[in-house]
Amino acid sequence: MLTREEAQKLAQKVIGLSTFPECQVTVNASEQAYTRFANNGITTASLNLRHTVAIAVSREGRSGIMTVNDLDDASLKAAVKKAEELAAIAPVNPERLPALGPQEFPKVSDFDERTAAARSPEMIPHVKTIIDLALKQKQIAAGLIERSHRVSAIANKAGLFGFHHSADSQLTTTIRMADGSSSGWAGQPSTKLSEIDSARLGATASEKCARWKNPQKLEPGNYTVVLEATAAADLVRLMAGAFNARNTEEGRTFLSKRGGGTLLGEKLFPEFVTLRCDPFDSRQPSSPWTGDLLPTRAITWIDKGVIANLSYDRYWAGKTGKPATPSAGGFGGGGGGFGGGAQTPLTMEGSGETLEQLIAGVERGLLVTHFWYIRGVNPQTLQQTGLTRDGLFLIENGKITTPVMNFRFLESPVRLLKNTKKLGQAIRVRGLEGGMMICPSLVATDFPLPSISDAI
Amino acid sequence: MLTRRTFLTASSAAFATRLFAAPKDARTPNPELEKLGAVALAEAKKHKATYADVRIVRINDQRIGLRLSPERGTGKTLSVPNVSEDSSFGFGVRVIVDGAWGFASSPLVTPAEIARVTGEAVIIAKANATIQPKPVQLAAVKAYRDRWETPHQRDPFAVPMAEKLELLRRVSEEAKKGPKVFSSAATLSLRGEDKYFASSEGSSIQQLILQIYGNVDATAVDRENNISRTRTYTPTQASAGWEYVPEMNLEENAQRIREEVVEHLTAPPVKPGKKDLLLMPNHLMLTIHESVAHPTELDRALGYEANYAGTSYITPDKIGKRIASEHCTFIGDRTSPRALGTVGYDDEGVKASQWTIIDKGIFKSYQTTREQAHFIGEKESHGCSQADSWATVPFQRMPNVWLQAGPRETTLESLIGGIEDGVLIDGRGSYSIDQQRYNIQFGGDAFWEIKGGKKRGMISRVSYQSRTPDFWQACDGTAGPAYWRQFGTTGDAKGEPTQINSISHGCSPTRFRGINVILTD
Repeated sequence: MLTREEAQKLAQKVIGLSTFPECQVTVNASEQAYTRFANNGITTASLNLRHTVAIAVSREGRSGIMTVNDLDDASLKAAVKKAEELAAIAPVNPERLPALGPQEFPKVSDFDERTAAARSPEMIPHVKTIIDLALKQKQIAAGLIERSHRVSAIANKAGLFGFHHSADSQLTTTIRMADGSSSGWAGQPSTKLSEIDSARLGATASEKCARWKNPQKLEPGNYTVVLEATAAADLVRLMAGAFNARNTEEGRTFLSKRGGGTLLGEKLFPEFVTLRCDPFDSRQPSSPWTGDLLPTRAITWIDKGVIANLSYDRYWAGKTGKPATPSAGGFGGGGGGFGGGAQTPLTMEGSGETLEQLIAGVERGLLVTHFWYIRGVNPQTLQQTGLTRDGLFLIENGKITTPVMNFRFLESPVRLLKNTKKLGQAIRVRGLEGGMMICPSLVATDFPLPSISDAI
Repeated sequence: MLTRRTFLTASSAAFATRLFAAPKDARTPNPELEKLGAVALAEAKKHKATYADVRIVRINDQRIGLRLSPERGTGKTLSVPNVSEDSSFGFGVRVIVDGAWGFASSPLVTPAEIARVTGEAVIIAKANATIQPKPVQLAAVKAYRDRWETPHQRDPFAVPMAEKLELLRRVSEEAKKGPKVFSSAATLSLRGEDKYFASSEGSSIQQLILQIYGNVDATAVDRENNISRTRTYTPTQASAGWEYVPEMNLEENAQRIREEVVEHLTAPPVKPGKKDLLLMPNHLMLTIHESVAHPTELDRALGYEANYAGTSYITPDKIGKRIASEHCTFIGDRTSPRALGTVGYDDEGVKASQWTIIDKGIFKSYQTTREQAHFIGEKESHGCSQADSWATVPFQRMPNVWLQAGPRETTLESLIGGIEDGVLIDGRGSYSIDQQRYNIQFGGDAFWEIKGGKKRGMISRVSYQSRTPDFWQACDGTAGPAYWRQFGTTGDAKGEPTQINSISHGCSPTRFRGINVILTD
């Protein structure tokens, strides 16, 4: 994969081709290997290589961006010319800010060489472990194991340069009964493929499948829920975009105050709720720079239940006299820059309690494995809807007693965290519909489950 | 592995332009493309592949946007532009060796790289074969040597940028007019996909697919009550040339949504309960997409998507059985003019066609690929194989799926006239459905109360929940052909790693009886 020196040389070559006073080059390259399986056999496996060079130029506030994957001199020259043609005709962007000069980007360590280089021989044994287990239990396994190696470099005419490479991997599996009467899921993302525990994941999904057979119908209503870490993260991560200072000040997020102003500094959540971004946590990939190409840093959004920060891009920071911050996710870069799309995933702090201990403390409630098809219903209150999936169980007097038919939920992560009573251990998770974070399992009351789903 | 050397000497844009350019009215693929394709096929044969195909693809995207919003402190309206283009060129090779699939891809389109990557695909196939329960079996397909293009008069990429920006300026300003609208935005996106396909079974096919998407929205904010609402007009996203753009009527509709977003801000909340629904085509298209098109994908029904997109409540034993009311006839289609899923051939070289999925409520047939057809005893694929890039594996994706119009005499007015207590829903809102496609919840972009057979004022905070088979059984009428419209969706996600698909769904305004309407935030 591309080295720091080669990336810098490529970026400088492109910058040298531009006649405009401002030129920013973003080089991205990735190599992805994966094996997909279903019905106890491999269905697809692939090795993909991709790279792009994004050229963003600006003159007197007029900007154009051209992204290409043709890297020879003639193609790059043509791409720069195209970007300049786009900029020449574009209207002036009144929110455009001057380019940043050289920055000191911190070291973000999330790169594992073995993960970055893994191919089928390292991945197929994991698939075999799961399929063999399913066959033994007369069940049917489906799933995905993948690893990626990404290189990202950023440079501009004002002398800024940054280089970063990262590796990541994940294994997820859904194990179903042959007659379709039950389904169980387990998944694990890891920046180190060597830490993926296929035997444990297969056993968890298989056991869930065996246990969830013939789920019973419960009446729709509000329930106390124990959300496993993946289920909790499915909802909590959707709060990220709401910390945007501009949208909040303009009255468009749950942090907007009635009549004007924001809820910054107000205590909205229980004492034990702390939500932050930590780009230096090697458990999840991050970036040394923010969406605005400033050096990244750790930032706390909710500190012991109190709204601790809002996120300011360079443009809004300039307008409000506040320092620019990293974003909480959900948007990259501000109105004033070209953006780099960099984000640091969220981390919600947990406690020392295990999932079993959380379950033991619930008199009557539901244990949720994870959610599916989560969509926003109201962007301001963050009300969401979606469904439970692959294992939903009734808890009675601290014990799992009965498999339960799936429900649709209709709830906002804001209300969920307000109703949260306990947190478990925080682990890195990744939801079915993407999005990763470090999140604990949790116990919350009054979780609305207004209708039943027949889906297994 | 992408080496340093190959990364820095990648193929050229000029080469791609030459490959996909052709004399006007050319009926066969560019010979240079055919030569490159032959490299993969010969290499695969050398490695004893029983099947191979290669796709060489270039995708161009152009995106233009204008956002109008007030400057902090002064309130002055600032117009913030965004102009960008993307181009991506590469190839992917698929092989069957020892009965198992292998796939590899690369952005470096040279004969040597094509040969090397074909070897990579063979290595992957051999590794997969070690735990392959049954060999892959492909349905027969005719060999074609052809060239196909989206019918168009004016290449949208050749239209001057100034013309596009001027259109968006007029549209966004129209939507922002007056003090009550906080901000507006207008966008225009173009997509051009050149692709060449060759298979070891003798096909050699070159295609050009052109797509155009437009959008305008207006946002109003009530600071006192902490409410913000956005009204969006999304004209039919179409496979077409620039000549289609005036038909989008962006300016005229910008004025309408500006007025409607202000009304929506103060519209009373819906009274929840069982109500009749009158769903407009730009709303119902997504309900069709989620609750009819997805569950009739055969790979889902057979468990191939169990780990992500899910399975389906429409299992093969339901073929020949009633799953919707007699008013519901759904067609699977890859040939409708201007529909996003319309092509000449799919990514396995199967010629585009049209077939009945549900006939007057009776389930007839699934969407299939060559690998899947024999799973349900069919001899031919319905041509639903597609990859979203040269770098991704083709697999079963939905075609255009549309609801046949009702009788000529059924009008929008006659459908509304038959509703005592109901809601008319326009546009896309929140949408969610379970992994077997049973439990649905859909919102919309705007809602009007229907009382005593008449459309009344706007209402707010509406969603409806239902069980798919009950929902389609509750359909008691759809308007005639004069009302039939198709709308596209461009972000349909399926597969792991996820791929995106663009397709269209057409229908007329349609009525549903006694659906559970809920009050949302």
